Amino acid sequence: MKPVPAAPRRRRKRLDLTPWLFLAPAIMFFLVYVVVPIGQSISISFLEWDGLGEKKWIGLQNYQDLLKDEAFYVSLKNNLIWLVLYLLAIPAGLFLALFLNQTVTGMRLYKSLFFFPFVISNVVVGLIFSWFYTPDFGLMPKIIGFFTGEEIAVLANESLATYGIVAAGLWPQIAYCMILYLTGLNSINPELVEAARLDDAKGFKMLWYVILPQLRPATFIALVVTVIGALRSFDLVAIMTVGGPWGSSRVLSYFMFEQSLSEYGTSMGYGAAIAVVLFAIMLVFITMFIVRMIIQERTA
Amino acid sequence: MAKVKLSGIRKSFGQSEVIKGIDLEIPAGSFCAFVGPSGCGKSTLLRMIAGLEDITHGSLEIGGQEMIDVAPAKRGVAMVFQSYALYPHMTVAENVTFGLRMANHPKRDTEQRCLEAARMLKLEELLDRKPSQLSGGQRQRVAIGRAIVRNPDVFLFDEPLSNLDAALRVEMRAEITRLHAKLDATMLYVTHDQVEAMTMADMIVVLDKGMIEQVGSPLGLYHEPNTLFVARFIGSPRMNTFSVNLCDAGDGNVSCMLPGGSSIQLDGSSLRTGKATFGIRPEHLDVVADGHLQGKAVLCERLGSETMLHVDIGLADPITVKADGLTNVTEGDAVGLKLNPKACHLFGPDDRRVRSGSLQ
Repeated sequence: MKPVPAAPRRRRKRLDLTPWLFLAPAIMFFLVYVVVPIGQSISISFLEWDGLGEKKWIGLQNYQDLLKDEAFYVSLKNNLIWLVLYLLAIPAGLFLALFLNQTVTGMRLYKSLFFFPFVISNVVVGLIFSWFYTPDFGLMPKIIGFFTGEEIAVLANESLATYGIVAAGLWPQIAYCMILYLTGLNSINPELVEAARLDDAKGFKMLWYVILPQLRPATFIALVVTVIGALRSFDLVAIMTVGGPWGSSRVLSYFMFEQSLSEYGTSMGYGAAIAVVLFAIMLVFITMFIVRMIIQERTA
Repeated sequence: MAKVKLSGIRKSFGQSEVIKGIDLEIPAGSFCAFVGPSGCGKSTLLRMIAGLEDITHGSLEIGGQEMIDVAPAKRGVAMVFQSYALYPHMTVAENVTFGLRMANHPKRDTEQRCLEAARMLKLEELLDRKPSQLSGGQRQRVAIGRAIVRNPDVFLFDEPLSNLDAALRVEMRAEITRLHAKLDATMLYVTHDQVEAMTMADMIVVLDKGMIEQVGSPLGLYHEPNTLFVARFIGSPRMNTFSVNLCDAGDGNVSCMLPGGSSIQLDGSSLRTGKATFGIRPEHLDVVADGHLQGKAVLCERLGSETMLHVDIGLADPITVKADGLTNVTEGDAVGLKLNPKACHLFGPDDRRVRSGSLQ
C-alpha cells in the first residue's frame, strides 16, 4: 500500500500554528509597547534632537557627556541610596506581618490600618510627608526641635532630602511587603509549626529554621518589587522636592525627565541616553531574578 | 518508657467544653489507642498530652512528673502528625535530626541515631532527598524516624495512617506494631479506624463527646461493651440493636419479647422488667428454617468468605446477618434467624449494660 503522508502533515501544521495564535495578542502588545520603544530609545540616544526639529547623528557623544556630568553621578548615587534603604521594607514588612499574624479581637481593623498606605496614591503619600517635614507647621521639625533645640527642614537640606523622600517611599512599600508576608504566613501548615515546637525550636530559631524557609517565595517577590520600585522611583521625587534642592535629590528617572521633557530641557537624545543607562542597570537585576527563577524551576 | 496519668482533665474552647473530665492511667510500655467518632475530642486529648493545647483544668503526669507547665519539647514526648508535617526545605536527614540539632545534641551521636533510625525504617537510600521527592509511605516513615531519634518516653500518633492507601496502611500497621515491640516505649495512638485500634493496641480508650465511654483490651471491648455506644462503635459490621420488653421468668431468667412475637429466655440480666435495648452481633445470628426471628432478605452482599444478609424483620432498619460465603439465600427469600443466647447483650434505659453476651 502507498503511504498517505498528506493528512498527518496538515494536522501537524495546524497544531504548530495554535500556540502562536494564542500568543499573538500578547506578543503584539509587548512588541509595540515594550520592545520597539526600547529600540527607539537606544537609537535616539545616538542623536542630538530637541523632539521636534532636525535630528543629528552624534554617535556616543551623549554618553561621553553623561560621564562628565556631575548631575548624573548625583542621580546614580541617589538611586543607590534608594536601593539600599528601600530594602529595609522587606524585614520591616516581615516584622509587621509576624506581629499582625495573631488572633486578637479586632485584628482585621488593625490590619486594614496597616494596609492603608498601600491603598492611597503615591502623590498623596508625598504630600503628607511634605507637610510632615514642613518647617512652619510640620510635626517632624517640632519633634526634632523639642529634643535638639534646632528645627531641621529635611527637604530643604541637600544632604537629607533624599533620605526624607526614601522614608516617605518606605511607608507604602513596607505595607506592600507586609501584605506579601501575611499571605505567605497564611499558607504555612500549622502542623509544621507544632512539629517545630515539639522539636524545641523557639522564638528566633523557629523563625530562622522553619518560618523563613517557608516564606521564601514571598521574600523573592518582595525583593523583586522592592528593587524595581527603588530603581524606578520618580513620583515621590517629583512631588516632594522636584529634584532639589539644587538637584541634590534627583534620581536617574527624574534626571531623564528633567533633561528631555520638562521646562528645563528638551534634549531628547541626552534623556534617551540616561534611559538606556537606567535600563542597563535594571537589566542586571532582572537577569539575576530570572536566572534564579529558572534554577529553582529546574531543581523543584 | 513512662507511665502517663491523666486526672480530671478538662478543656474548653471559649464557652464550649470539648473534654469533660478525663481520668486515665496508661501503664508504661503499653500501646494505647484513642478511638471515637469525629469531634469526640480524641485528637485534642493527644495534643494536650503533647503540650500543643493548654489544659484548662486537671493534672497530667508523664513518668510520675507533673507536666502541665512544661514546654512541649521538654515533656519527653514525640509526635507523628496526620499530615506528617515534614519540613519541606530540609532533606530527610535534616528533618530527622532537626530536634537534636535544636537541642545542641553532640554531633556524632546525632548522626549515629539518624543512621540507626534510617536503618530501622529502611530510609538509608533516601537520606539526601527532600520530602517532595518521597512517596506517602516514605514520608510517613520519615515522620516516625523524626520521632524515634529523640528517644522519647512516649510516642504520640495523631491518625498517622489516614492519608495512605489501603495496602500501605496494612503494611505500616505491622511496621508500627514491630517498632513498639522493639523500642519498648509507651505509645498513644489516635484513630477513627477501629481496625487499626483493634489490631495494634493492647489498650483501647473509647471516647464520645469529650468523655471516656470505656477502657479495655480490644477483645474485652468487643465482647463486653459497657454501653450501647461502645457496642455499636466497636465491630464491623456493627452490632444489631433494637428495643425489647423484658419480663421476669423466674429462676434468675428474664424473658425478652422479640420483634415478630416470639421470645427468648436469657439469664444473668440485672434488669428484670421493662424496656431494654437488645444487641446481637451479625456473626451470632444463624440462618435456619424456623428461628427466633422471621424476616425477608432485602440485600445479599457476597464477599466470598462470607455473605452479609440484610434482613427485614419489620423494624425501621434491616438487621445484618453474617452468613456462610456459599449460602443459597438470595434477595427476597424468607429467612428464619436463630439467636445464640450466650451472645445476646442487653442494655438498660440509661444505655448501660445489664447483661453481657460475652459467649461465656
